[in-house]
Amino acid sequence: MQKTDSLVVDDYEQAIELFYERGWTDGLPVVLPTRRLVDEMLARYGRDRHESLGAIPPKGGQATIEKLAINAVMGGCRPEHFPIVLAAFQALLAPEHNLNGVSQTTHMCVSLAIVNGPISRELNFNSRDGVFGNGYRSNGAVGRAVRLALWNLGGAVPWDTDKATLSHPGEYAFCIAEEEEDNPWEPLHVERGCPPGSDAVTVFACEGPHGVVCDGTPAEMLHGIADTMCALGNNNVHFGGQTLVIVNPQNAEEFAKGGWSKQDVRAYLWENARRRLSDVRACGAVHDRMRKTLQDTGRILARQYAENPTTRVPVTSKPEDIHIVVAGGRSYWAAVLPGWGSFGGYAATVQIKRQGG
Amino acid sequence: MEIMIPVWAQSAGAQIAKRHLSDLRGSRIALVDDNFDTPFTDRLEKLLSETHGAVVERLVKPLGSAASPKALIEQAAKAEAAIVGIGL
Repeated sequence: MQKTDSLVVDDYEQAIELFYERGWTDGLPVVLPTRRLVDEMLARYGRDRHESLGAIPPKGGQATIEKLAINAVMGGCRPEHFPIVLAAFQALLAPEHNLNGVSQTTHMCVSLAIVNGPISRELNFNSRDGVFGNGYRSNGAVGRAVRLALWNLGGAVPWDTDKATLSHPGEYAFCIAEEEEDNPWEPLHVERGCPPGSDAVTVFACEGPHGVVCDGTPAEMLHGIADTMCALGNNNVHFGGQTLVIVNPQNAEEFAKGGWSKQDVRAYLWENARRRLSDVRACGAVHDRMRKTLQDTGRILARQYAENPTTRVPVTSKPEDIHIVVAGGRSYWAAVLPGWGSFGGYAATVQIKRQGG
Repeated sequence: MEIMIPVWAQSAGAQIAKRHLSDLRGSRIALVDDNFDTPFTDRLEKLLSETHGAVVERLVKPLGSAASPKALIEQAAKAEAAIVGIGL
C-alpha cells in the first residue's frame, strides 16, 4: 500500500530490500524512516515540515524540513542531531560553495562538514584520535544524513549526474568536529564571524586527508605541510581556490609555545607552499587553457601565473583561503585536504539553531 | 509499519523527450561551450557543421563549473538537439 509520502510494508527485511530496489540508499543499509521516528525528529525541532531551504542541485529536489528529517533518520541521526544537518544544508546551498559543480565534477572533492561549538562535546562528536575515522555515532550519522539527502533529493548519483572519476570514501559520510578545548587558537567558526561559544557548521569541498609527518620545530613542521599543499597532483597549484590544513593539538601547542599564531602559520604557508611556474606548466597545455578561462573570469589572479623564470605559484590567491583546523590525537601527524580549485566548493559557515521557529 | 519516502515523486511531464534526429544534415544543434576546452569545442563545431551539415548555434557558458544561466538553457531548448557540455 502506498500513499504519496509514505508506504506500508509488512516486515523489516522487506523494507530494507525495498530501499535498495528503489535506489533510495547509497549502497549501505539505512535506519528505516518510520513515521514515528520522523515525527519525533520534527516535533523536537518545531519547524514547519513543508518549509524548504531551497532546491538541491543537480536535480533540484526541494530540501524541505520533512524530507531532510527522513534522510537524517536514515543516516542514524537522533533528533538532537537534526539542527546540525539543517545548518549543514544551509551552508551547502550558499552560492560560494557551488554545490551544483561540487556534485557533478570529475574531481574527487566531497563536501566536508566541520562542527564547532559546545554542541560538539554535548553530542560526543569526535575531534581527537582518529577524527576522520569510524567509531562515533555523531560524526557518522550527521555525515551520512548529509550524503543521503544529497543522494535522494539532489540526485547526486554516480554513473548519472555525479561524474567524479574516483571520488573518495567521504561520499558515505564526511564529518568531523574541531578540537576546541585542547587548542591554543581561536576556533574556525569564530574566525569566520560566529560569536564565541556559539554552535556552527562549516562545509568545505575537498579531497580526503593527505598525511603529513609533522614533528620538530615550527619551521620543520611547516616545511612538510607546505610541501604537501603544493603537490602537482592537486588542483590548488593549478587553479587556486581554497585548501584545508589539519594540525593536531600537539602541533598547535608547539606552534603556540614558539609564539606562532594561527595567522602566522597561515601567512608562512601562503608564502612557502608554492611551485615554480615551469613545474606547473610541465603538467600540460590543457591546464594552461583552463587557467586562462579562470583568469578571464576573475577567479584567479593572472599575476600569480605571470611568465617569469622567478614566478613561484601560490596554492591560493590570498592567505585567507588557507583554512586551518585543529583536530586529531596528540601525535606527529597533520593532514592537508586540497580543494577543488577556484571552480567552487568554498567554505561556508552557518550557525546552528537548536530550535526551529 | 509505515515508512516515509525519502525522495520526491517524479513529476509527470517534467522530462519531455525530443524526437530523435534522423539525420544531422540541416538539423539545428545547440552546442553549449562550457569553457573547459575551446580547441576541442572548435573541432566539434566544425565537424558537426562542415562534415555533417548541421546548423550549429554555439552558446558559451560563463564558467563551466557552474550551472548554465536560465536564458542559455531556454535558448538551447529551442534547438532540435543540444550538446550540453564535455567532461574534463
